[in-house]
Amino acid sequence: MSVQTGSSSLPPLASGASLFARLRWSLARLSRDPNPVWMRELRQSARLQRTPVILMTITVAVALLICSVGGIASVTAEPAKVGVGVFHTFFSLAFALVTWLGPAVAASTIAGEKNGRTWEALALTGLPAAQIARGKFLAAYTYIALYLVMLAPVGALPFLFGGVTATEVVLAFFCCFVLAALAVAFGLALSSKFQSSAAAIIVTLMMTLTTSVVVYGALGVGLSMAVHEQWPAVAQGPPVWLPSAWVRADFGLPYLAFLVVTPAVAVAVPTWLFYETTVANLASPSDDRSTRLRVWTITSTLLLAGCCALVGVATRSVDWAMAQASLLFVFFAFTIFMIAGEPLGPSRRVRVAWERQGRGRLLRLLGPGVLPASTWVLSLMLLGFAACVGLGLLTLRTRTDREVLVAFAGQLLAFLVFLCGLSAFFRARAEGATTPRVLLLVTILSASIGPWILMAIAGVVTRSGDAAMALAAPSPTYAFLLAEQMQRGASNLSDLLLPAVLCAAGYALFGMGLLAMAAARVHARLAQERQRLSQLEAMLEAELEAEQQTAQQTDEAVTTTAEPSP
Amino acid sequence: MTQPPAIRVRHLSHRFGAREVLRDVSFDVQHGEIFGFIGPNGAGKTTTIRVMATLLEPATGRVEIDGLDVSIDPDKVRRLIGYMPDHAGVYERITVREFLEFFADAYQVLDANVVDVVLELTDLKKLDGRLVAELSKGMKQRLQVARILLHDPKVLILDEPASDLDPRARIELRDLLLELRDLGKTIFLSSHILTELSDVCTSVGILERGQLVVAGPIAAIGDELARRGRAEPGAAAAAGSAPGPGRPPEETALTAGGASIPAAARRRLKLRVLGDSRQVVPLLAGGAFVYQVEPAPGGVLTVDYTGDERFVADVVRHLVSQGVGVVGVEPERNELERIFLEVTRGELQ
Repeated sequence: MSVQTGSSSLPPLASGASLFARLRWSLARLSRDPNPVWMRELRQSARLQRTPVILMTITVAVALLICSVGGIASVTAEPAKVGVGVFHTFFSLAFALVTWLGPAVAASTIAGEKNGRTWEALALTGLPAAQIARGKFLAAYTYIALYLVMLAPVGALPFLFGGVTATEVVLAFFCCFVLAALAVAFGLALSSKFQSSAAAIIVTLMMTLTTSVVVYGALGVGLSMAVHEQWPAVAQGPPVWLPSAWVRADFGLPYLAFLVVTPAVAVAVPTWLFYETTVANLASPSDDRSTRLRVWTITSTLLLAGCCALVGVATRSVDWAMAQASLLFVFFAFTIFMIAGEPLGPSRRVRVAWERQGRGRLLRLLGPGVLPASTWVLSLMLLGFAACVGLGLLTLRTRTDREVLVAFAGQLLAFLVFLCGLSAFFRARAEGATTPRVLLLVTILSASIGPWILMAIAGVVTRSGDAAMALAAPSPTYAFLLAEQMQRGASNLSDLLLPAVLCAAGYALFGMGLLAMAAARVHARLAQERQRLSQLEAMLEAELEAEQQTAQQTDEAVTTTAEPSP
Repeated sequence: MTQPPAIRVRHLSHRFGAREVLRDVSFDVQHGEIFGFIGPNGAGKTTTIRVMATLLEPATGRVEIDGLDVSIDPDKVRRLIGYMPDHAGVYERITVREFLEFFADAYQVLDANVVDVVLELTDLKKLDGRLVAELSKGMKQRLQVARILLHDPKVLILDEPASDLDPRARIELRDLLLELRDLGKTIFLSSHILTELSDVCTSVGILERGQLVVAGPIAAIGDELARRGRAEPGAAAAAGSAPGPGRPPEETALTAGGASIPAAARRRLKLRVLGDSRQVVPLLAGGAFVYQVEPAPGGVLTVDYTGDERFVADVVRHLVSQGVGVVGVEPERNELERIFLEVTRGELQ
């Protein structure tokens, strides 16, 4: 039931209910028992008098702008081209609105609660962190969706000129709504980390302004060139190419891989991550904040691997295979950063909860702890790269391509193993998450750039560029140089390959060694902590027992005194 | 098996970075009590309260609410407590009723009438349609109390509930707390304003520099201090006062927390009599347990003494029997203020 909406309680579901009945019950529960945070936020927003004014102003401004663009362009260009121009102008503005306003609105929600000193009251109601995060997400998303709905009539203006189909406009709006979810989730994740809403909004806007421009340029204008090469029916250059590609490209495996699965994964994986980050940030440090993020890591690895496999089968190109390995490298480097903030082990609260739930050993491995986290990431890295290389070996056409992929992926994987071990090593010695993350970043930057600087100096000193090239082998980016040389069939290949193999082996062994050292250290620290806790527990229990005995003796004495003497 | 106390704190310690804010704090609060948690700013009151409210994990020690460990069962503890933080915020753009309806949903209260009941109890019924932003500070504080009553908690934890309130709002809040105690709630409230606690509290705990110096029922602490004061040999009398015959020795007593009491357990009484107060001085000076008697204009007499309220009654009876018209009797400080001054050192936090 909901006191806010006045809806009554839903009768409990019968034990043997069918799947359809369960689904209906869940839907009915959603409508009868809506998220309380969302309801309250809607009530508050409804009273904000400036909202309709802002909505109207933006709609009128965008309508005038679009009409002006259309009017000016129609003097010289044919109507169909004007329609396409208006379409891209409008949806570029909608993109800006969604990517700037969405995170900014979301950024003020959770930080605003902390700023306004209402957060503690909300947290102590017992509402789960996930429910609060969902309520905040829905509130910010509703606000952005309202803007998009208000702008919908303006978005229909291209129909006056032609050149764009109704399906394309509808699909473009669909893209805006999906992108709004990503943008809001991003703002929410940042908001959950800040205490001040002003700081949250400033940082969020700084990040989104730069990111959105890069994304617009690279994934909009830039990718439209590649898409045009693959499907000439899709225009080259205009930024809003995805809805047009959905309508105009020929259906096939590449269509499925590049136009359906890849965009879906590219939006779903980060949106889910931002949501889980928000939930984790809202929970107490003693709670289990790891399991949900671990589930995200495992599922995302599988999704990425599946996506890569589909692209690999669709393209059968070594360049695409290398791109997939690079993507996996970036993904796993990020997850290593993430686990650098893991607690050393599960807290007492988590251990007690596991005991009560009867959680098995395998499920406990998903929980907090730097060692299980590192083991998971290490296993997933091996799995992901094995899938990528294995598929490459099956699909790539030439032996050279296959060798290039093995060398390229091998080098990246070895460096990741080193990073994983290093992260665990730093975390095992640090008290918090900041120091390991900073050290990790410094290591990555040094390892990536340092060898190239050495190579350049050595090249200048010895005046032999080829010989000095091997000095760059410790850098993970050396993999690109090696792959290029292998593809070209360079004469000094063995001089380049040997240092690469040695460095890769060294990184992998060193990483495993660091992991072993981290394990020893973590076990020692956890044992020390458990001993301290058990001593404290024993002392408290003894005190409690003594107190109870004293109370009992007092009660007995009172009873004896009260009894009448014979 | 005896019922666990409403709040049990054992060996609680906490530090923020290198700064130790709580050191081995232990005390109990029994069911139905109003417990005042007293201490100067920065003594560690809010840290203790935040641990009790499950908002902060203690570094060491154990805190239990109705037998539940706050570190292990925070969700269950949250069902048992109602916590009102110092300077708590409110959602401004909703009405009083909507505010409470939201929290009723957030607490997952299954009774649809709960908001009406709480509005009635806190006397906010007539304001239920008003925007929260339009309420006065006192009314907002009342709304906060209403919020923490929605899920019918056993224990109410209030951090500085009367700070920033005007005298009328303070009196109203005090009356509300007494009403809640009558409803069986255990109330734990912190403050550094002693007068606001002395009227309502049955027990107190005094915290100084992160250490609990004394805890227990006010009367028991006062008696204990007075007993120790009589039992231990003391130093010279206070400056400017001439020792009288029969005066008990001044002492340096120890509190429950082990801190020494800097001055004697001396009390001061103000009497107002008809006529010239100088003529009354010989009737009291030199009496048992009397340190000093000082006359002042307007028929006022200041009497320094040791003893309890029976002494005051004896003095009044004695003066009346001697034909002196006693028109006013007031202790210069109330009991709680006296205890606070005696057990704390007043060092900078």
